[in-house]
Amino acid sequence: MSSERPAEVVYLDHAATTPVDPVVVRAMQQVLSPAGSFANPASAHSAGRCSRALVEQARRQVADLLHTEPCCLVFTSGATESNNLAILGAARNRAHRGRHVITMRTEHKAVLDTFAALERDGFRVTWLSPDENGLLAISALEASFRDDTQLVSVMHVNNETGVMQDIETIGAACRRHDILFHCDAAQSAGKLLIDLARLPIDMMSLTAHKFHGPQGIGALYLADHPGCHITPLMHGGGQERRLRPGTLPIHQIVGFGAAAALSLERQAEDLAYLRMLNDRLWQGLGSMPGVLRNGARELSFPGILNVSAADIDGESLLLALEPVCAASGSACNSLSGEPSYVLRALGRDDRLAQSAVRFSFGRTTSIQDIDYAVDRYHYAINKLRSIGPAFSRLAV
Amino acid sequence: MNVAVGPGGYNHRVLGYFAQPVHAGDLQARYPVEGRGEATEAGGGCQILLTAGTDGTAFCEVRHRVLGCPHLIAAAEELCRRAEGRPVAALALFDRPELMALLDVPVEKSGRMLLLEDAWQALCRGLEGSASRANKATEFTDDET
Repeated sequence: MSSERPAEVVYLDHAATTPVDPVVVRAMQQVLSPAGSFANPASAHSAGRCSRALVEQARRQVADLLHTEPCCLVFTSGATESNNLAILGAARNRAHRGRHVITMRTEHKAVLDTFAALERDGFRVTWLSPDENGLLAISALEASFRDDTQLVSVMHVNNETGVMQDIETIGAACRRHDILFHCDAAQSAGKLLIDLARLPIDMMSLTAHKFHGPQGIGALYLADHPGCHITPLMHGGGQERRLRPGTLPIHQIVGFGAAAALSLERQAEDLAYLRMLNDRLWQGLGSMPGVLRNGARELSFPGILNVSAADIDGESLLLALEPVCAASGSACNSLSGEPSYVLRALGRDDRLAQSAVRFSFGRTTSIQDIDYAVDRYHYAINKLRSIGPAFSRLAV
Repeated sequence: MNVAVGPGGYNHRVLGYFAQPVHAGDLQARYPVEGRGEATEAGGGCQILLTAGTDGTAFCEVRHRVLGCPHLIAAAEELCRRAEGRPVAALALFDRPELMALLDVPVEKSGRMLLLEDAWQALCRGLEGSASRANKATEFTDDET
């Protein structure tokens, strides 16, 4: 494989955010145009009703994507807010029944930090570790259940490695014990088939910008059953069933709906395309000595490929890769400087975890982008190894 | 600070050194006195190897091999550039705070700069030892003659 250097950056960081689809842009522009619907959807007049119709149409589009009913969706600012609302809201609502909650150590910071906040508030948190494949063992989950357990939160697709959890089995285990199950689907919604009519999931977080929608808008799914109640975090208005007050951003919601409709339409085609890109990228990178894949192919979402390389510093690798835009495998731990727990759980030592790079791609990624990234990765690894200390010499 | 911060939070000096670390590698010639200093971060995250050749009084050539972040590579490169041509009594060459300011090294990377300082001090001790052995060998040779 060989390719020419592109004029612009090669964007392979779709797990961080995706480019907004032109169809979505047009839908949003229409709302923002002088003739668009600017009125407050909470207003009773005709202009308000027009805005409200747009909001409800988008809610239907998002609901269709998840195979659920529009009444089960609460619009938020994104997955982080949805995670906070679900976890804090459910734990506080059920605190009188028990104060034990469960999550995994490999969750996104938006979940980890929220559970840490519950811990500071006196809740008891069980932090489960994954097995050597990054998966949650159901036996470990069920062993952690207690009489006072009220909530379990496990993500669908891991943001670092792409490893997919068996949310159907996890949800079923929770249902058997009358425990609420929340799933952070920020990396999977709009990309993988999620059938909430069938899945035993009580709450699910998603965000538009991970599937070619605008940033700043997301949703929380709340199952329509009597046990699924949450306490709101904010007060001051009756919007979104009083669960998330505040004036609704119509243009963002319309963009969210358009992105959802587009994703639903293209889901199977996009997934097959991502699988092809993933295999092509790994075929190119895996041929280098000392390069390892983090997360088994069969267990991982094909839009993410995380690789480690022996004798390489990840931060230097990212800089040497430019104009390819990828992410450090431990992006969420970059402030702490700690190697990724997710990667260490997969059996990588600190040095390999620090060398990890996450490539993530989407429907706008071309084959040429992948081929260029392969070439650039080879160049970067060879360059950094050539200026690094040969370990045998250090031992002399 | 006289340099703007470029892509990725690295200033242009760091980006330049990272793109062309001309002092990366091994000594290109043999010298009367040679030494090496190395340091490894706990857990093996960063590794630094410095090598130098002197004529007994001044650094003729200084080279680095670094497994680490762009700031660390740039700091090693700057150190090598500064040392060449300077007297061997050059421990003062390593002014860590000044080097960190020059390269806009974030404070959380202070540990890595200390690692470079360790390697530099080990190099200097190695050169002193080599010079001492070279002098003794010279004295021995002189006695024989």
